[in-house]
Amino acid sequence: MSEAKVLLFGAAADRAGTRETVVNVESGATLADLWPLLVERHPGLAPMRDTLAFAVNSQYARMEDSISGGDEVAVLPPVSGG
Amino acid sequence: MDSYSDITEGPIEAGALIAQALRSDCGAISTFIGTTRIDESTEARVEYLEYEAYRPMADEKLEEISSEIKGRWDARYVAIVHRLGRVDPGEASVVIVVASPRRGPAFEASRYAIERIKEVVPIWKREIWSDGYIWVGSQVGTRPKTPD
Repeated sequence: MSEAKVLLFGAAADRAGTRETVVNVESGATLADLWPLLVERHPGLAPMRDTLAFAVNSQYARMEDSISGGDEVAVLPPVSGG
Repeated sequence: MDSYSDITEGPIEAGALIAQALRSDCGAISTFIGTTRIDESTEARVEYLEYEAYRPMADEKLEEISSEIKGRWDARYVAIVHRLGRVDPGEASVVIVVASPRRGPAFEASRYAIERIKEVVPIWKREIWSDGYIWVGSQVGTRPKTPD
């Protein structure tokens, strides 16, 4: 087990009630494995699932992409710049 | 190609960006300025907008858009500046300036930049209303539900 930092933005931070959290991930874990751990801790996130994108170390990532200790995971609601 | 991108808390100096774009080999400078808008159609009203970004990813994505423009059009200068924090009605939230030898590429590239910002740059805005706020795009917020 190692720790990944999770950053939350915009509506996701609102729903989670925090902008940053740390999650223990097993070696070989993917974003898909991380999601239920996040929801368990922050149930308000659950309804947003289909709208969210994720980034790992500042790169857009897919749910099947793996994460490891020390990674920075970002939970990104639909962007609305401009 | 010269390019400049920035994310800033303060007002954006559009005139200075345009002045930087002037060059003797370009016959066109296209400028897009996105400004905050008040929707007067409902009883409650938006008082201002507030922007936040995931940095440095947002900065990297703005630079990426400049690179994409360089690869697609004959642009000699591209500036993209996005504002963060509170932006009052009628103020600029984003300014894009593209200089090109001819007007076609300048128009197209500036349009491309704003469309890409809305697709891929991790920046979010919330509307601060007189009765609460709402995150644009997620429709999550504190405003009272509109009665049926």
